[in-house]
Amino acid sequence: MKTWMLMLALLASAAHADEVAQLLKAADAYRTGAENLQVETQVSVLNRDGSPDKERRYTVFAQAQHKSLVLMRSPAEAGQKVLMLGDDFWLLMPGSQRPLRITPSQKLLGDASTGDIATMSWSEDYAGTVVGEDKCDAQPCLHLSLNATRKGVSYQRIELWLGKARHEPIKADLYVQSDKLAKQARFVFDKPAAPTTVTEMVLLDQLSNHKETRVRYVSRSPKAVPEAWLNPMFLARNPALD
Amino acid sequence: MRLLALMLASLSSGAALAGDSASGELRVRWDAREANTASLAPATPSSASLEAELRGTWHAPVKALSASANVLLGAEHPEGGATRSLTRANELYGSADFGSWQMSAGKKIVGWDVGCGFRPNDFVQQEERRTLLTVTPEGRPLLQLEHFGAEDAASLLWVNPQRTQDDDDAQRGARESALAARWYRRSGALDGYLFGRWGQHTHASLGAAVAWVAGDELELHASARVLQRHDGWAMRSGPLLTSANPWQQAALGGTGQWLLGASWTGQRQQSLLVEFWHDGTTLSDDDWDGWHTRNAALAALVGPPPRAIAGNLAWQATPFLSSSLRRDNLFVRAAWQPEHWLLSLDALVTPADRGHAITAAVQWQGDRLKLNAALRVYGGPADALMSRLPQRRVGVIAATWAF
Repeated sequence: MKTWMLMLALLASAAHADEVAQLLKAADAYRTGAENLQVETQVSVLNRDGSPDKERRYTVFAQAQHKSLVLMRSPAEAGQKVLMLGDDFWLLMPGSQRPLRITPSQKLLGDASTGDIATMSWSEDYAGTVVGEDKCDAQPCLHLSLNATRKGVSYQRIELWLGKARHEPIKADLYVQSDKLAKQARFVFDKPAAPTTVTEMVLLDQLSNHKETRVRYVSRSPKAVPEAWLNPMFLARNPALD
Repeated sequence: MRLLALMLASLSSGAALAGDSASGELRVRWDAREANTASLAPATPSSASLEAELRGTWHAPVKALSASANVLLGAEHPEGGATRSLTRANELYGSADFGSWQMSAGKKIVGWDVGCGFRPNDFVQQEERRTLLTVTPEGRPLLQLEHFGAEDAASLLWVNPQRTQDDDDAQRGARESALAARWYRRSGALDGYLFGRWGQHTHASLGAAVAWVAGDELELHASARVLQRHDGWAMRSGPLLTSANPWQQAALGGTGQWLLGASWTGQRQQSLLVEFWHDGTTLSDDDWDGWHTRNAALAALVGPPPRAIAGNLAWQATPFLSSSLRRDNLFVRAAWQPEHWLLSLDALVTPADRGHAITAAVQWQGDRLKLNAALRVYGGPADALMSRLPQRRVGVIAATWAF
């Protein structure tokens, strides 16, 4: 009898995990749309009083298997590059032309967390449970509690709310390794009534400066980069981007 | 000025082309130097400079081919001296992209090795370390062939190919014609490197380096190199008082260099770097003891004209031009990077004579404007080399406008 109960519990757990995975894949589709992408991103940081603080532009090559290449395009950072291969990170500063191994903590230094810009997918990095149904601005939504399945991600825990009908991401609470609430995110869509794509992610800092960061996805297009581009030593080269 | 405007306009139009990139910086800086009264040689005067750095990469209609340039236009005005030009091409090279195989030819910056304060295996660029203000170095003429795999990469270079006919004195240090190779492989959190170099007169040197991310906040690195021969400062034998500088660069025997380092970065944007290195290419402790003895003997001379003695003492400052003053060095740097600011404090200590150089720096970075200020103070016991440098304190204030 005990064996049967254990098997039923395992089956229920597996079905539950499968349901969460399907929900996350559906939510990811609003942010990515393809496995290998080139995304032009504009990041605007606003002070607490709403005045503009700074603006940055990035070209992100988000590739399958947790591989991302971020090219800094703003005048203040022109030539800087960050490569993320799973849990491993490298930085290139333009003056030295010397790719430099960096720690996950170093990845968080600077204006915007590179993870916020380069990470486009939850389904590959998180697993968790459906906490239950909730209300998101009068709209019925599902509350998911997610934990990272690998250590290289910027946020170890995410509380995520998805639209109940379409499973589009509505908002998220992002927790760092120490389980402190680091940022609160909300998502802006192209067509609020019938959303197809996230056009902007708005992050409100809860840890230090309480500034608002708007990550605007200017364009997305499918792009699989050559394997050589994802070699850390290749950061010193300047290939044609299209 | 008209030339600058034309180049900026050209860069702006070039940036509109798909896949091409162009950027630049305008920089004004003031370098202040306070003379050390205990020094043997006069200090370099303070100076003001204005620089424009223009960068661009242009791809040919055949996308495999591209040209890159980094040009510095500028002038420096030293106190009490004539204005001198700083204009140069930091980089000017062509590249061919054959996928996993890449080639470059021209003047190019190629930085190698894993250290911060010192890099034994920076075979090509031999970049000056621990400068008060980080600026783009001047690249080296070279031919480069590279191969990139999924987990490894190999580079083969011929640096300074135009200097093969020059004599040894024209080929000292980074100016030497040499073949250099680097092999890289990554294995999870570990980066491993092997280096090899064959210099026209320094012959073979071999090196290895690793960088290991030991945790979310900790990175460890190490680098080592053995040299068959090296260029270093040597004193010609002769009388105590001479009519020419007795210190000259010469090809010396085999030696080694190594570095151990660790960096820690906290979640509140604070970081700590600790490095210890041994540089066998600089003068030994015995050589410096002889240097002190010679200084004392020159200062005690009675009879020769004082100007001749002062000139000979000033020549004694020549070996201060080495990248490391003492063979063993400890470097510690603490930094904090809140918001727009970067605050840092570092110390270079030479345990052999307890000399030190302490640097405090602050940077503010806006969307386009960057402001820097840094101050370095040299000190230690009276007989420490850091206490005998021409400058007691050096500082820099700079404003940079990026476009």
